Amino acid sequence: MKMYLRLLLTVAFIVAVAAAGVAGSPPQKGSAADPAPATYVITNDDASALLGQNSISFFQAGGTPSAPSLTYQTTLFIGGTGIGGGFFGTSRLNSLPDSGAQCLYVSDAGSGAVVAVNLQTQQAAGTFFGSENDAGTTNGIGLGLNANYLYASFTDSNTIGTFTILPGCQLSFVNDVSVGGLNGGTIYAMALSGNILVVSYADGSIESFNIGAGTPVPNGDAQNSTGYVIDYNNLPDGIDISQNGHYAIFGDAAVSPVVEVSDISSGKLKPTTVYRLGAGPTAVAPNAVVSGVNSSNVRLSPDESLLFISNNQSGTVTAGFFNPATGSISPGCTSATLSGFYSPWAYVASMVTENTSGNGGVLYVAEFGVPSSIGILTITSTGGTCRLAESINSPAVDPITSGGVLSIWAYPPRPF
Amino acid sequence: MHDVVKFLRIVLLGGLCGCAPVGASAQLPVCPPRPPLQSVVVNPLDLFSQNGVLNVDLTLQNAVGSDGYMHYCYVYVNQGQQVEAPTLRLNPGDQLILNLTNNIRAPYDRYPPKISYAQKIKAMHMGHMHKAETPSDPCDGGMVGPSSTNLHFHGLNISPTCHQDEVIKTIIESGDPPFQFNTQIPANDQPGMYWYHPHPHGFTTTQVNGGASGALIIEGSNPLTDGLTEHVIVIRQEFMNANSWLPGPNSLTLNFVPVPPLHGPLPIIKAQTGKQEFWRVLNASTQAFLTLQLEYGDTVQPLEVIALDGVPLQMPTNYTTLSVPPAGRVEFIVPPLPSGTTGTLLTLGYDTGPVGNPNPAQVMAKIEPAMNGMQSKPSPRRAAATPIGAKRFAGLKLQTPTAQRSLYFSEETVGTNGPTSYFITVKGQRPHVFHMDDPPAITTKVGAVEDWTIENRAGEAHAFHIHQLHFLVMAINGVPVPNPVLQDTITIPNWTGSGPYPSVTLRMDFRDPNIAGTFVYHCHILDHEDAGMMAKIQVNPAN
Repeated sequence: MKMYLRLLLTVAFIVAVAAAGVAGSPPQKGSAADPAPATYVITNDDASALLGQNSISFFQAGGTPSAPSLTYQTTLFIGGTGIGGGFFGTSRLNSLPDSGAQCLYVSDAGSGAVVAVNLQTQQAAGTFFGSENDAGTTNGIGLGLNANYLYASFTDSNTIGTFTILPGCQLSFVNDVSVGGLNGGTIYAMALSGNILVVSYADGSIESFNIGAGTPVPNGDAQNSTGYVIDYNNLPDGIDISQNGHYAIFGDAAVSPVVEVSDISSGKLKPTTVYRLGAGPTAVAPNAVVSGVNSSNVRLSPDESLLFISNNQSGTVTAGFFNPATGSISPGCTSATLSGFYSPWAYVASMVTENTSGNGGVLYVAEFGVPSSIGILTITSTGGTCRLAESINSPAVDPITSGGVLSIWAYPPRPF
Repeated sequence: MHDVVKFLRIVLLGGLCGCAPVGASAQLPVCPPRPPLQSVVVNPLDLFSQNGVLNVDLTLQNAVGSDGYMHYCYVYVNQGQQVEAPTLRLNPGDQLILNLTNNIRAPYDRYPPKISYAQKIKAMHMGHMHKAETPSDPCDGGMVGPSSTNLHFHGLNISPTCHQDEVIKTIIESGDPPFQFNTQIPANDQPGMYWYHPHPHGFTTTQVNGGASGALIIEGSNPLTDGLTEHVIVIRQEFMNANSWLPGPNSLTLNFVPVPPLHGPLPIIKAQTGKQEFWRVLNASTQAFLTLQLEYGDTVQPLEVIALDGVPLQMPTNYTTLSVPPAGRVEFIVPPLPSGTTGTLLTLGYDTGPVGNPNPAQVMAKIEPAMNGMQSKPSPRRAAATPIGAKRFAGLKLQTPTAQRSLYFSEETVGTNGPTSYFITVKGQRPHVFHMDDPPAITTKVGAVEDWTIENRAGEAHAFHIHQLHFLVMAINGVPVPNPVLQDTITIPNWTGSGPYPSVTLRMDFRDPNIAGTFVYHCHILDHEDAGMMAKIQVNPAN
């Protein structure tokens, strides 16, 4: 009976706070009383159809340097439906990497749509669909964009849809292309920089596309990642690309923190170099918590000195030292297990930083659960040492969740 | 409210369970019709050994039933009628000759989705790939596919060799000639309840989910139960899609009588008023952790447990709740049903952890008085053969272990909906999704007695099972068990995210030379097993 009680209580909780969210006021940015531009963290709540429509929630950064916090502001219901979960590495909301970005794009995986949100008005600006074939109802729809095009990775149909970005955050569907890993895997994640779009697949392979003309054109570099060749437990998943566009960094779904780096300065993927950043479960004292399990999400700090890694299944975050000149990564530090791991949330996923320069100052990490939340960690790094310490104000609970937050975004965003 | 994945699955289940099953399509061969809702739970057909031998022909076939589910059925032809999943009854020392014909047709759902694409390619190989060279020999392994099968005698302490109880290289293809299993029940084996089910790696879930399982009982005289009416209850669990992350339409069944998931007419167990009964319950579900209770009116009844996993307890003990993991068995004496009273059999549910499968509480059956002796006659029983020598595993508690090993369950997933890689790993080795052509993860020899401590590092419960032997449960979470019992399957609860990992310490008995060979241990949540949470152990001869 306990299970059903939990369910009923959970549904009641969601309904109650959803009603409160509708009545809430939108965030006030840049008011006269607050000369410094505020930072917002935005969630794709990924609400499934069984519990209403999907939404995005806004949190405002605050607190003190030693005790940062996030304060829930409001929720915008965007009309479609989510699915309440999916692949860790899939980016479910995105904007241009520009502090003046006007448009935020959010995926509604349940209804197969991309929703545009005007960041100034905090209102939905339109709902856009790919082809009838495009679907991401099991594991989500990922988004990436440049000034001209938005790309949507549909993880069920294994397609990448291309949309032209029009004034007013509007989109116009161009076409979609079918993709697939070397071994038949579906698309996990994608990231883009300049004319290159980098993709990871569920079968250990990676590939890049030329997007100079808009629609992705294969670069002919599909390959099994080095990490996968070494150990088929390593599956490249989430992707970030260095600011200069020279390195694509893959977070691997793996039994310990494993990341891979490919030199893409030629416009194509080169074989990846593997970095193991945790001792992993094979060198752990009895009953000790391993330094990290599963490293599907990666995110560079604004100054690229640090690479943040979500240890999705152990409730921790790791930072490694990244050398943007060489693309190499060296071990750094791992947080303690974040508050609420396995009760009430189960996985950590995407990350963003508060600041758009330096090491980012504060790291926010999506915590997937019922309810979902956002973990808040201070980042300290000097020389060859670092520390990730959870704030006493962590986590910030997302009141609008019927399934789970895997993707978060910061506004203003990191400048690349 | 921490069970997010489970929450989602339950929500979706709630949305789906009211759906009508998909329309059945005509498909040959046809499985025997299964009982409808609200049927009386009738014991399976008993097949007894005669003169020390039980010779039985079974055919495994599949078809979409009228309920829309894909049925996999062990068919026995009894006086011209097809009967499903008979109970095999033998005495210690008896010979079992089972001729299995594989008549699987056109299965669907070729690949369990929880296995990644690359793993699929590797995982579908049996043995050393000799099958293609010598396709006529089912003992040589080869590619296993959706039409392949084999057979495991769960809990029997018999030889891991082909034609006995071997599942690594034994693979029987659809259309092969009948394959003969020929084994002898050890004369000193424990009387109790065992079971048989298919074990083709990668496809076990699909076949067991479809109903391919049956009870096997080693007879033995027991003054506590002799003369009592005996119920043999096989609890199965059928999903519309056995390998789906989403639970979808599914239900438990009692001897194939469906248990409505939320509400609806229940199976009926007829009990004699005023008389004790002897119930043998097998959890043949693919993933359900059962916590059984029996109520008469509103009163929870004490159940006198006399055997677990086929092994009699040294001292029968009263419990009000019986925890039975997937593949577990429990045999107990039920108090007399008072006249004018009805009762209910229920499972209280089990918290499988924040990323575990939904495992809700359910009322499973209504207990009604048997009328005019219907269903009330005792099962035919015979005097069991006198056991020879000491019982299997005798004196195990007092043995000095020759080795200590540490293993752990863990998982890797690429998203909240999978696909997930499942591991059981010896500490110091690298987590590894099981392939049938793997080398043994553990090597030991006949005569060894080992203590294995098995941790669960995952956010969901697992059920450890080893073939060919029972183990003695010595400690739970490092705390010694005062009166260790023999089992062949045991639950290890989920890790909570902090503190020590939950663990069990099990004493493994490799003293019997008959079990020399290579066999497997694994999680008995079958889609975990199919997705790689399994490993080999090689037991070398003493010399």
